[in-house]
Amino acid sequence: MTTDVRETAVGLDLAIAATELRQRYGEFEAVRGVSLTVRTGELFALLGTNGAGKTTTMEVLEGYRPATSGTVEVLGMDPYRRRRALSPRVGIMLQENGLLSDLTVAETIGLWRDLHANPRSLDESLELAGLADKARVRVRQLSGGQKRRLDLVLSVIGRPEVLFLDEPTTGMDPEARRATWSLIRELVTEGTTILLTTHYLEEAEHLASRLAVMHEGEIRVEGTLEEVVGGHGDRVSFRLPPEIPLDTLPLIGGHAPGVSLAGGTPVVTYTIADGDQATRAHAALVPLFAWAAERGVTLERLAVRTASLEDVFHSVVKESA
Amino acid sequence: MNDVAQAVRLARVDLTLVFRNRTAFVNAVLLPLLIAGALASNGVGGGTAGIPATQYVMTGMMAFILIFATFMNLAGFYTSRREEMVLKRLLGGPATRTAILSGSALGATAVYLGQVVILCALMSAVMGTGAPADVPLLLLAALLGAAFFSLLAMAVSGLSSTGEMAQIATLPVVLLLVGGSPVMLPPEMLPQALRTAIEFLPMTPIVEIMRTAYLGLNYIGAGHEPLGALERWGAALPSLGLLAVWIAVAALLARAFFRWDPRRG
Repeated sequence: MTTDVRETAVGLDLAIAATELRQRYGEFEAVRGVSLTVRTGELFALLGTNGAGKTTTMEVLEGYRPATSGTVEVLGMDPYRRRRALSPRVGIMLQENGLLSDLTVAETIGLWRDLHANPRSLDESLELAGLADKARVRVRQLSGGQKRRLDLVLSVIGRPEVLFLDEPTTGMDPEARRATWSLIRELVTEGTTILLTTHYLEEAEHLASRLAVMHEGEIRVEGTLEEVVGGHGDRVSFRLPPEIPLDTLPLIGGHAPGVSLAGGTPVVTYTIADGDQATRAHAALVPLFAWAAERGVTLERLAVRTASLEDVFHSVVKESA
Repeated sequence: MNDVAQAVRLARVDLTLVFRNRTAFVNAVLLPLLIAGALASNGVGGGTAGIPATQYVMTGMMAFILIFATFMNLAGFYTSRREEMVLKRLLGGPATRTAILSGSALGATAVYLGQVVILCALMSAVMGTGAPADVPLLLLAALLGAAFFSLLAMAVSGLSSTGEMAQIATLPVVLLLVGGSPVMLPPEMLPQALRTAIEFLPMTPIVEIMRTAYLGLNYIGAGHEPLGALERWGAALPSLGLLAVWIAVAALLARAFFRWDPRRG
């Protein structure tokens, strides 16, 4: 993942670019050589465990702190040194709300509207926040999810070209999360470039055109959902037939199976990572069926699936454990 | 919006919040007026430094009450907002650092100026002292005093982890500055060594300029003689210089200690 950003940028319209970004706090290096690019109009999701370095990466891109080393560019500018030029074009939603709890919803929106040159109207903002009936309510009386939604709307009140969302749906119930997803999709449709961090793999699957998994300050996996998941193989699984001893299971494509227990029953899983992505599952099943026919067994609960983002995530975290 | 317009907009928010938050309202708005009012109505007997003691104390109060809105409460505001991520959130928007910090300072200054106006009204209408002799000089001293204490509030907030801690942390500074100034007692009543030290502390020039500006008598020197307009400004010049130095010192302290990121975590 050390491609030169400028090389990639040829013919591509990059809204966000980081090259070999490193961020050190005293002895601790929170970000260790991250390179990533986000194209204009794209939603890029940054996944990772707590402490993986996502928020630090975001804060450097948002211009809160200069990079210890490496380069970062947002809309072609250094976000730390060109803060003033960038701030009208960039929206930021932090992991914590930072709202003034004694103001009403309408007053809060009013303040942010006044700070921006060409803001969305009060009514539109209330509508986007789903708080049209709460305009006169003090912010402290809103639920956690409502505050999060209000905060999201504050970050897009100035119609930013680039939007940073740090865990935008944390603390929301499933209903509110769905509503927020559709708001985010709407923003993408409007042409906003979005860099989003999340704990929810589902969120990345639903929203992201590309994503990366960070762990211990590095990007471990990056690409479109299809690429990321495809790189981690297909899964072929079935119940272990009772009459078959474990050590007589065949090798498929040269690989031995893994066995796990599901509801007290041993389940055999082959991970097929070699060969052409489109045909490898089929190619693996041919010798498997031949073997089953030869032994006269039926493969119960036979399932073929591609790897899920969860598989990828766990394998990234496990690799380094 | 430029910095000034942003600061004014943010100051409006701060004014709203001072009146909406009960603790802030009591500490920043009500308490200073109660203290000054109590002193005025009890009447301090006798004469001090050639004028009725009440006049001496009330003109001292005008400077003294700076410590409420523009220092103690402001230090608390900066600190609690930093810890609640409000400052960082604002910084993520179009407002600049300068606008965010001076917005709150401006709101506090407005509260303070309102209190000065009330004290002036009290003195001229109720106590019969008459109107201030030199309004521009009085206003200048008030504004410079507010600037000094706002910058000091930023420095204190950087060293405190909660709004309450920040207010407590201002107390020793308040005791030193108020004790070390002619707010209540004329310096003539103090031993010479102490007088010399006090002359250089920041509260002294604020009090002396305001008292001179209000009464039209020289309280910067020891003479207390009546001064004309030009003489007043001439007499105030060294004090204004000293105050400018203290503002620069407070600005350096603010720069060194103020922080945008919360102390926790």
